[in-house]
Amino acid sequence: MMAKPTASQTVGPFFARELLWSDGGEVLFPGQGERIVLTGHVFDGAGAPVIDALFETWQVDGTGRVPTAGEAARPYGYGRVSTGADGGYTIETVRPGSFTGPGGEAYAPQLSVTIFARGLLKAVRTRVFLAPLDAIKDDPLARAIDDPARLRTLVATPDPHEPKTYRWDVRLQGQGEAVFIEF
Amino acid sequence: MTMSRTLDADVHPPYAHPDYKSTHLRAPKRPLVRVAPSPLETAGPVFPKHFVKDAEADLTTWGKSAPLGEKMVLIGRVLDEDGRPVRRSLVEVWQANASGRYPHPVDDHDAPLDPNFLGKGQVLTDDEGRYRIVTIKPGAYPWLNHPFGWRPAHIHLSLFGSAYGHRLITQMFFPGDPLLAIDPIFNSVPEAARPGLIADLALEHGVEGVALGYRFDIVLRGPPATPMGV
Repeated sequence: MMAKPTASQTVGPFFARELLWSDGGEVLFPGQGERIVLTGHVFDGAGAPVIDALFETWQVDGTGRVPTAGEAARPYGYGRVSTGADGGYTIETVRPGSFTGPGGEAYAPQLSVTIFARGLLKAVRTRVFLAPLDAIKDDPLARAIDDPARLRTLVATPDPHEPKTYRWDVRLQGQGEAVFIEF
Repeated sequence: MTMSRTLDADVHPPYAHPDYKSTHLRAPKRPLVRVAPSPLETAGPVFPKHFVKDAEADLTTWGKSAPLGEKMVLIGRVLDEDGRPVRRSLVEVWQANASGRYPHPVDDHDAPLDPNFLGKGQVLTDDEGRYRIVTIKPGAYPWLNHPFGWRPAHIHLSLFGSAYGHRLITQMFFPGDPLLAIDPIFNSVPEAARPGLIADLALEHGVEGVALGYRFDIVLRGPPATPMGV
């Protein structure tokens, strides 16, 4: 039986106290892993900070395994924060490993990202890479984009002074608009 | 294995919807890139059992006494596109109080806060995909999107499903609300999919003499979950 899917609606401006966890930016894993930080800003089409986005990440562990159930306070591998008054977000997590798809696809180190906000009637989904452009050429999304300038919108860059801090800004619209995906 | 699944454009609103002003500078303009979901996106975050407490399904017991407003029970099922129940999946809800006010610093609507109502709850679906929330009917509230704009009464829902590719945030509306006709957010949805955002009156699921009953089923579209995983 096919059921008719339910439409998306905006998260609206009033979600902070309802959906946010005080420690949602600290991503939990059962094992050890190299702790890294992913940080940046979300901007709109006029270059203004998006101050009320819900920013979520979902990722494999350091060895490339998809997290499953656990006894931690929250799900493993999942980060959830809001952008701040400057459009900024910060996720503190482990460096994800590379992983392989069911057809042998080589997925480069990456996080799946979903952004909800007032003015977004449905979430934008994408993936951010924690590896340089020349190291992700075989990744399925890199192949699908097939344009280095567009692909660069999804590459986080290590901070020259803090090599474990990756910076990634997201432009929702216009010049430098990030690549967003659908399945 | 994917059969003719519903197209995104037949169900979901477009990003750009001129009548909803906040989309003007936030809607992406480039076409989305279609890819197969990764092994990550066919799995999803697994919430530990103790993440949700039973009391969190009742929004009316948060304060020292009962909140103001029309008490209601919201029941429903979370299903996948093939009609199968989505089991033990997190459903988060949030809403304005009976006066149409959120306890949020940026909500400057001049309507009273209710000290007995926070407007936030969560529940895990059971083995049949069912959920049940007890709350009060939220009020409509004005907004500045257009002259004399008022949002129809609605409850926000956040859902995970069994795969991260199913992740959905939506709003549930009430049957017979005259504000639906003028709401750009509701009307951003393709016409055929709009009835799916309106709850049904389901008196038998209420509490006799105490609470009205409503039913709202949610169907998550997206990539089929892998048989492995959870």
